[in-house]
Amino acid sequence: MKGVGRGVLLGLLIFSLGVGTAVAAEKEVKIGVIFPLSGGLASTGRLLRIGVELAAEIVNKRVEGIDMPIAKWEGIPGLGGAKIKLIFMDHRSDPARGADLAKRLIMDEKVVGILGCYNSSVTKSVSTVCERYGVPMINSNSTSPILTTRGYQWFWRTTPHNITFSHDLFKFLVGLTEGKAKGVGKIPKKEIERIAIAGEETEFGATGIQVLEELAPKYGFKVVKSIKYPHQSPDLTSEAQAIRASNPGVVAFIPYVSDAILFMRTFKSMKFSPKIIWGQDAGMVQPEFANALKRDAVGVLTRTVFIPKIAKVKPLAKQINDLFKARSGEDLSGTSARAFTGLQTWAYVLNKAKSTDPKAIQAAANSLYIPGEELIMPWKGIKFGGEQKNERGQNVLGSGMIGQWQLAPGEDVPHLEAVYPFEYATAKFIYPFPKWK
Amino acid sequence: MEFLLDAITSGILMGLIFSLIALGLTIIFGVMDIVNFAHGEFLMVGMYVAYWCNVLLGMDPLVAMPASVASGVILGLASHYLLVRHLLRGPMVAQLFGTFGLMLFIRYMVLFLWGPNFRTVSHGLIIGKSTVIGGVVFDLAKVVPSLISILAFLGVSYFINNTRVGKALQATALDAEAAGYMGIHTDRMNALAWAIGGGTVGLAGALLVNFWYITPEIGLLFVMIAFATVALGGFGSIKGAFYAGVIIGVLETLVGVKAPNFKFTVVYAAYFLIVVFRPQGLFGWKR
Repeated sequence: MKGVGRGVLLGLLIFSLGVGTAVAAEKEVKIGVIFPLSGGLASTGRLLRIGVELAAEIVNKRVEGIDMPIAKWEGIPGLGGAKIKLIFMDHRSDPARGADLAKRLIMDEKVVGILGCYNSSVTKSVSTVCERYGVPMINSNSTSPILTTRGYQWFWRTTPHNITFSHDLFKFLVGLTEGKAKGVGKIPKKEIERIAIAGEETEFGATGIQVLEELAPKYGFKVVKSIKYPHQSPDLTSEAQAIRASNPGVVAFIPYVSDAILFMRTFKSMKFSPKIIWGQDAGMVQPEFANALKRDAVGVLTRTVFIPKIAKVKPLAKQINDLFKARSGEDLSGTSARAFTGLQTWAYVLNKAKSTDPKAIQAAANSLYIPGEELIMPWKGIKFGGEQKNERGQNVLGSGMIGQWQLAPGEDVPHLEAVYPFEYATAKFIYPFPKWK
Repeated sequence: MEFLLDAITSGILMGLIFSLIALGLTIIFGVMDIVNFAHGEFLMVGMYVAYWCNVLLGMDPLVAMPASVASGVILGLASHYLLVRHLLRGPMVAQLFGTFGLMLFIRYMVLFLWGPNFRTVSHGLIIGKSTVIGGVVFDLAKVVPSLISILAFLGVSYFINNTRVGKALQATALDAEAAGYMGIHTDRMNALAWAIGGGTVGLAGALLVNFWYITPEIGLLFVMIAFATVALGGFGSIKGAFYAGVIIGVLETLVGVKAPNFKFTVVYAAYFLIVVFRPQGLFGWKR
């Protein structure tokens, strides 16, 4: 009897520990976040991280003054109030390292899913690992179009991709010839017909170049030069010279920050001013680009998905921007705003799934809908589907903008004004790109 | 034709800058047979010193050159006395890992102190200024550093070949043991090599700030080219570093105008071929 009594007591003890452990485990849900936190993209990684941390904080704590459902949650309601715990890893822009980190997060940290990775090349390798292990991954920033055409069942992307953004560029250029830009009359087509493209040579740049080359003739523009360059290059003079020699009206860049700055300085040294300089986000949308170049950045166009001035029409954007600026010292940019939205999407998915079971998360993501008014992004919302051939997991409600760096009187560092869509323009369009003084 | 002339001119100017960066590396190797993996970080610190002199004291980067040189000298001497000197007692692998560790230490210390953000100097005597001669654009932010690079090479060569201390340095480079027997204080010569190596790359740092952005990672961009320059020119050869830098600059620019994503392939292919067929480099000594 004594032995049986002890056995029952021991069994009850073990059972209660197990239940207690399970309850304790449900109180926290781990998400692995893989970003470039050191190396040449460290400054970008810092802002990505702050964006994601801010979103997690808003999910985990009640935050007054934020008109977002997640600000009232205090943890994920569908998971019994479980708090999001972020586990950050630094991929250093290395796809192989990213893949190793993903395995570590899955096998050792037992994350329920992954958010990442900014660099399209790293997102590619990390998502392949997630696909192999059946672990959900949400991507918030990588824009290589092929990422959502691989038939992957465990990958979703909230940001629009380069095809969408590239269509925006050409629609914008066509609109310029029709006199639709604020503050500028009709621009003769021959002034902006010739396009030179320069993209960094990894997944982001290479696919971006391909998309622009395919779309240009469809809109009646001519690609006169197309260059892939190593973005970790100490000198881009030869590339700049090749671009200048092709006599373009428009120079379209697909750069990261360091090469964007170097190109602009090289153009200045050569006194080369095409009519339009446009960047495919990334390097040319970052605050560091404007901080480093100051008035030399004025007139540069960049595709973007977010500018702080959106706050004029979206109060929620201002609320989150204020919190972000208090933490980082910078306004939200397209990069950090999308990172915030990526983690927000994870919260919605987990809440809908009501479980950390991968299949439940997968089903939740595939049927997810977040209305635009609950986002800081000027999108119609988030809903995953596909428009390209064989595409799935792509947010079909996202959209792009084109911003232009402009200086207000008394300002030393330019800020972004929206110039496209034309109906949302927040300032007159500066045309042509100013001559170098 | 004008386009080709433009490319060659840019290549020569860039090449002279590469040469100056490689100069310190080749001196240190020549005297001590040690590869300083932290060389790029010495360059980076020199850039930051010039930047802070500009921001805090309003100094033009050209005026801040002595401060950057001094920072390089101090870093060089500190590296020698606090680290390298002790590493010499260990195997070659320890020496390699030692300077590699130093590289990481300096880089992440700067990252910790000043963050990852890109910084630039926007106004200066030669910043953003250029002139056109015969249809070829000459960017003063590259012309002036190139000229100073030539002066630096002339100065260092004169010192090495025409002064007593310089000859003692050469003797130490040729045979440290024999130099010691002849009464040359070889440890001081080693320290001097580190001081000159650090000082010249610090000088390069102040000059680069006129054009390049500054981040804790900037050294890495240039140091790989510097290694290729030193290997191509010959480890320990000052003349070699000069000519090899120019060759690499011209090669990189000429290939870059036609096939930019292959420019470094060609540069490192040239380096590889030299190492295979002429390991001592173009001007190095066959041992």
